[in-house]
Amino acid sequence: MLAVAEREQLPVQQARDGNPAAWDVLFRRYQLPLYVYVFELARNEQASLDIVQETFIAAVKHIGGLRDDEKFGSWLFGIAHQKVIQLWRKHSGKEILFDEIPETPDEFENSPDDLLIRSEQETEFMNLLNQLPLPQRSVLLLHFVEDFSLEEIARIMETQLGTVKSRLHYAKKALRKLIEEKK
Amino acid sequence: MKTPREILFVRHQNATPKLDTIRREVLKSEFQNEPSIPFYLNLPLMFWRELIFPCRRIWTGLAAVWIFIFIINFSQHDKSEMMARKSPPPSPEMILAFRQQELLLAELIGQNEPRDAEPPKIFSPRPSSERRFEILTA
Repeated sequence: MLAVAEREQLPVQQARDGNPAAWDVLFRRYQLPLYVYVFELARNEQASLDIVQETFIAAVKHIGGLRDDEKFGSWLFGIAHQKVIQLWRKHSGKEILFDEIPETPDEFENSPDDLLIRSEQETEFMNLLNQLPLPQRSVLLLHFVEDFSLEEIARIMETQLGTVKSRLHYAKKALRKLIEEKK
Repeated sequence: MKTPREILFVRHQNATPKLDTIRREVLKSEFQNEPSIPFYLNLPLMFWRELIFPCRRIWTGLAAVWIFIFIINFSQHDKSEMMARKSPPPSPEMILAFRQQELLLAELIGQNEPRDAEPPKIFSPRPSSERRFEILTA
């Protein structure tokens, strides 16, 4: 399994120079995490594959807009996130409530790996994840899939840090409750 | 016991062959044709992608300001030309009155008779010692 917490040396500079091999490395690295993130939000296989493809194309075209090579991952997820929002708006025809009033918890947490789920709880975990409102699900997925920092998640979702903290706190609390209930 | 990341990745592992196909297709479409385009032809596209497109709002704003300035400038230019065209040529009476005023003014100042201009001195080259003598005797 990919150790996402470790900062990798990715060939972003070579990709900027238009090196296809560098892009291949980057796409290989992010294709599955991106797909997981998009699928768990969109819940549609073909739409998710299309979004991953569009994200890759947009990344090649707009790599000039990336300011810091270290932030390639969050930049790529930011593109995908915007495409998911567009899809959501197109299908539901309504705005997603991204501006609920944040209530920032005092204590803060830990790594995504602190939450361990037993095999018999996997289905329930996935069910609960799908029941969460889209903004909370989005924060939780970014935290689980890539272990992005709160600042990075805020940048991807174009929202405030306090809001991200709040969403993550309540989503994790709900998950913990589920795990403890089933013990 | 599994982490949420492991659960999610295992659930979607089946999508990997499709994702591989997408990756190859994107690389093919984005990079296969590029080397065949000569650099000088690709330059405007690069210029557009790197310089214009990322700051497209700023460029649009600047263009709008310039268009506004040109419109203002052009409309003012038109007006002055039209005004010049519209103003009628001075009538012979006006010209006569103006000349009379000029003559009257000249009489008042006392410059109605033109002075004879001082004739220019003729320069004849002489030795410098002679010039000094001339100054002393003067």
